[in-house]
Amino acid sequence: MIKTKRNRELTPSFQRPNSRVAIRRAVSYQQELGALIQETLLDFKLPVKGKTVLLKPNLVGQDPLGVVNTHPAVIAAAREAFLRLGASRVLVGDGPAMDRDTEAVLESVRLRESLGPLANVFVDLNIDDVERVSLPTYASRLKELYFPKTVLGVDLVVSMPKLKTHHWAGVTLSLKNMFGVVPGSCYGWPKNVLHWAGIDRAILDINAAVRPDFAIVDGIVGMEGNGPIQGTPKACGVLIFGDDPVAVDATCCRTMGLAPEKVKYLANAGTMLGHIKVHNIQQVGEAIAAVRSPFAVLREFEHLRPAA
Amino acid sequence: MEDGPDKSRAENFGAPLLVGTQNSDGGWGFHPSAGSRVEPTCWVLKALTALESRNGLTGQAVDRGLNFLMAAQLPDGSWPSTPEMKTGCWVTSLACWVLRDAHSEKYQIAIGNGLRWICRDWPKDSSPWRRRLRSFSRKNQHFKFADGARGWGWTPRTSSWVEPTALALLALEGQQDSVLPSSAQKRRKLGEALLYDRMCVGGGWNCGNPWVYGVPDDPLVVPTSWALLALRAHPEQRESLDSLAWLERSFGDIKAPGSLALATICLESYGRERPGNASLSEYDVENESTRNTQVAAWRALAVSDTRRWLSARAGAEVHD
Repeated sequence: MIKTKRNRELTPSFQRPNSRVAIRRAVSYQQELGALIQETLLDFKLPVKGKTVLLKPNLVGQDPLGVVNTHPAVIAAAREAFLRLGASRVLVGDGPAMDRDTEAVLESVRLRESLGPLANVFVDLNIDDVERVSLPTYASRLKELYFPKTVLGVDLVVSMPKLKTHHWAGVTLSLKNMFGVVPGSCYGWPKNVLHWAGIDRAILDINAAVRPDFAIVDGIVGMEGNGPIQGTPKACGVLIFGDDPVAVDATCCRTMGLAPEKVKYLANAGTMLGHIKVHNIQQVGEAIAAVRSPFAVLREFEHLRPAA
Repeated sequence: MEDGPDKSRAENFGAPLLVGTQNSDGGWGFHPSAGSRVEPTCWVLKALTALESRNGLTGQAVDRGLNFLMAAQLPDGSWPSTPEMKTGCWVTSLACWVLRDAHSEKYQIAIGNGLRWICRDWPKDSSPWRRRLRSFSRKNQHFKFADGARGWGWTPRTSSWVEPTALALLALEGQQDSVLPSSAQKRRKLGEALLYDRMCVGGGWNCGNPWVYGVPDDPLVVPTSWALLALRAHPEQRESLDSLAWLERSFGDIKAPGSLALATICLESYGRERPGNASLSEYDVENESTRNTQVAAWRALAVSDTRRWLSARAGAEVHD
């Protein structure tokens, strides 16, 4: 076992207990999401009381049509749920990858309309103070990365991606979403050094160092085709939850009509960070078959379809 | 330069705000009370020099800031994002640009070392070997890049991107001949060619991916402003005119103070009027920008005499 910076033990997947993933139907951003999220969090018995929580949505860039980023209604509902469950502080933080004017991204996402004043709520992870972290895994050649002190200092990190395809990685879910904690002020916009290290490998290194404690995937409207920015909106009507981000991503893939074991970084994550095998994941809420909605993918990723 | 409330606010509010957030080590962080970093330190120094309000207090702040920058330079001539890092990056361009404005012989060696590092750093994505490899790759078909154009990356030996290329071009501008590496002229030409090549369809720039999988991507205000500032020696170039037109059309939709400040600086440097009524003074105490040192510095620069601080004469009379 390796101790990571956030004092989480990095346990090989075969030594981990089975994981639980919950799929909840949510057909619209206008419906009452706070109660749904709170009820699901209670079900997971997350130790939230008195804790500082960081919600890490996927805020890629400016998004006037509201189809690229995690929807602000989901972020606000999650924040409300964690506060109701007794969290002492719930921050929202991200480091947008494509646009260094985070204020412009926040305006475009209309996060203020959902969360109110952002001054003591939102943390721009691109320009947060940083601390060097030796990476506990050597999947890429990075060896070390500087991470935002906010990410390293909170009690719980919640990855909140949108259900999307990705034109380099195949899919972008709760593991890939953690690219956003890598500070642009150190590595640029986009964080190109991670691409040079190999996206698949860098995803593993980052998540081994700052593994999210929980994941809430916004699949109410996802994105298919040429994601993560130029794809087509895809209404799926689900929120997917879990305390094992690998298992959550595997379930997301199955919901998207893709085989998680064929997504390179997920297959590797399934050996060291969590579970991707069906028999290791207890599904609660909706059954995958009931919500499955195959996503269109670029020709390069047709091989991610499960064998007939 | 805009007269009226913005100007007086910059003088009365901008300089004290910036000086008041200086750390004891002489640098500035991205937020008040944050640890010192090279990038915000450079922007504040640029702003304090541009505000021309160099009284005793700001003068001392600038000197301490310059000392912080000098101490942060790495042995290879580059500057890191944060003093703890051992690898330099694009902020080297900012540091060289700021030290140029100090007009002091004592900084010329540091500038020369920084510029040599900049000119030695070739992006690996466009190396002859990579270009050859890419010609066999199917992914090559998804891009429309001119392989021969080579700019600068955010981090050394990676890929060319618009903003670091623009900032490197600005760093090479107006420097003394004695500190310019022999390859500077060649790198400038290649860098300018890269910017023209990476322009989005119809004008403007994003981070540097105008096409992804055959789909044109949209421009953004910040990279467009920096690219235009770096290319202002060619105001009649078609790409510059198209991009200026895009910026003017987009100006009224800008909602963030950082983008608004940079767009203002950019249009003013080309002698264009600011379209619409958006005013920087709308973004004041209630806005997060006052907690973001870098944006506060950009706002101060936007209400200063843009053409003057962009030129090599910025701050000259103070030291002459």
